[in-house]
Amino acid sequence: MAISYWRRRDRYYRLLGNKCTRCNAEYYPPVYICRRCGSESLIDAEMPGTGKILTYTILREVMSGFEGQQPIIIGIVQLDNGVKVLGQIVDTPIDALKIGCKVRTVFRKIREESSAGQIYYGYKFTVLC
Amino acid sequence: MAKVIVASVGYTRVGDHWDKSILDLAVEASKKALKPYPNIRPEVIIVGNMFSSQSSRQEHLGALLASALNLTRTPAFKVEAACASGGVAFNIAYNKIRSGEVSSALVVGVEKMRDLDTPEASLALSMAESAEYTQFIGASFLSLNAMLARLYSETYNVSRDELSAFPVIAHSNAATAEHAQFRKAISVEDVSRSPLVSDPLRLLDCAPVGDGAAAVLLASDAFDEDDGARVDVLSSKISTNIFSVYERDDMLKFDATRDAASKAFSEAGISVEDVDVLEVHDAFSVTAALSVEAMGFSREGEGAKDAAKGIYALRGRYPALTFGGLKGRGHPVGATGIYQIIELWLQLKGRGNANQVKGCRIGVAQNIGGVDTTSVVSVLARR
Repeated sequence: MAISYWRRRDRYYRLLGNKCTRCNAEYYPPVYICRRCGSESLIDAEMPGTGKILTYTILREVMSGFEGQQPIIIGIVQLDNGVKVLGQIVDTPIDALKIGCKVRTVFRKIREESSAGQIYYGYKFTVLC
Repeated sequence: MAKVIVASVGYTRVGDHWDKSILDLAVEASKKALKPYPNIRPEVIIVGNMFSSQSSRQEHLGALLASALNLTRTPAFKVEAACASGGVAFNIAYNKIRSGEVSSALVVGVEKMRDLDTPEASLALSMAESAEYTQFIGASFLSLNAMLARLYSETYNVSRDELSAFPVIAHSNAATAEHAQFRKAISVEDVSRSPLVSDPLRLLDCAPVGDGAAAVLLASDAFDEDDGARVDVLSSKISTNIFSVYERDDMLKFDATRDAASKAFSEAGISVEDVDVLEVHDAFSVTAALSVEAMGFSREGEGAKDAAKGIYALRGRYPALTFGGLKGRGHPVGATGIYQIIELWLQLKGRGNANQVKGCRIGVAQNIGGVDTTSVVSVLARR
């Protein structure tokens, strides 16, 4: 897990996706071939840090590795450039959650393997309105 | 092209099999399927399974099963396509017979889920999704479907009770199905009173975790001396969608199912109206709704509403989930696609007992992996 995490650290830390140099379509997660125009010429591109909630859920049964974190709020956020991103929503009272809420990215701990194990970090979202 | 007959079937009850291993289950189902035709030695064995490495620390299921069945020298292998593993295994066997490469095949779907605790099973299922971008952040498969359910309800103004209709139909049929995990009817009130697991989805919106194995013997030529009725496979098509649901432009369109169904119906020479019995992939209430819409049985946004009107009930226009579907019969993931084929076979043979759809001739099975990421649609007919 440690190596696969290290490999993607910029994706997780900076929401680094990519962008087609031909048609300017943007992607997160990054793609290998542009879905819109088929170009293979893509460069890394940081996604905007703000967007709005398209849908969300409060997950009460977590999977292995996330024990003790429940409930986890998970949302699909449409960023200001139109790209849809999956992420946890934190620092937000459940009552404040609504489709259409504005959010911004924050840097947070995702999980840790054990009290002495690897700690994984990445982006999450927090509600602005 | 050779014709493909579903000659015989074998299956275990779905549920807790604490005393049986993954191989015990696969052998049990296989022996039952092989028994009626002692003269047919399958020329290939294909196993559909999703996560035996997680549940049982076991891979190489094809040769493992062939050896246990005393069928060494037979080509045997496992195929994996998440929850569509069974459907994909069936599709490959169908095409091998149809092309003339082999004249018989044993297809076995199997999954051992109950040896895992709930968080482990949830992690194993999440491997159907992106490890790097979905699993990493803690978004289980359940949570993705829950977000779809919220979007679906908001977009099409679908009520809680309407969303509950598919689970209610599933359980109503499972109540009289001998191999079902939950032989118990439930009401819409039971669904809305069940605990929230990932809102708006409640416990009774979701297919359970269970063990099971299901096997079919396919042959280009087989005659059932008992009843003379033959169940033929008319078509089977696989399609795929953009991998993760949040990467798609319209998250409420099951394009893989739409594509697979349209190709399968066209090759079988049927239209939606010809279908007498329907097994859909109701892993979650919302999944069933989006599936019937994608195949054309309901209009966009009306799948759950149609279910609430009784269209998909056992005596409705399109009887669905006739032995309980994933929700009621159970969902041992790699086996599910084969249970669906078996249930169509029981219906088309007229062996459905209390669950029989009278006079049915054409059956359709739809089996999904991921959130409509892989979809297999197969058409069977009584001859």
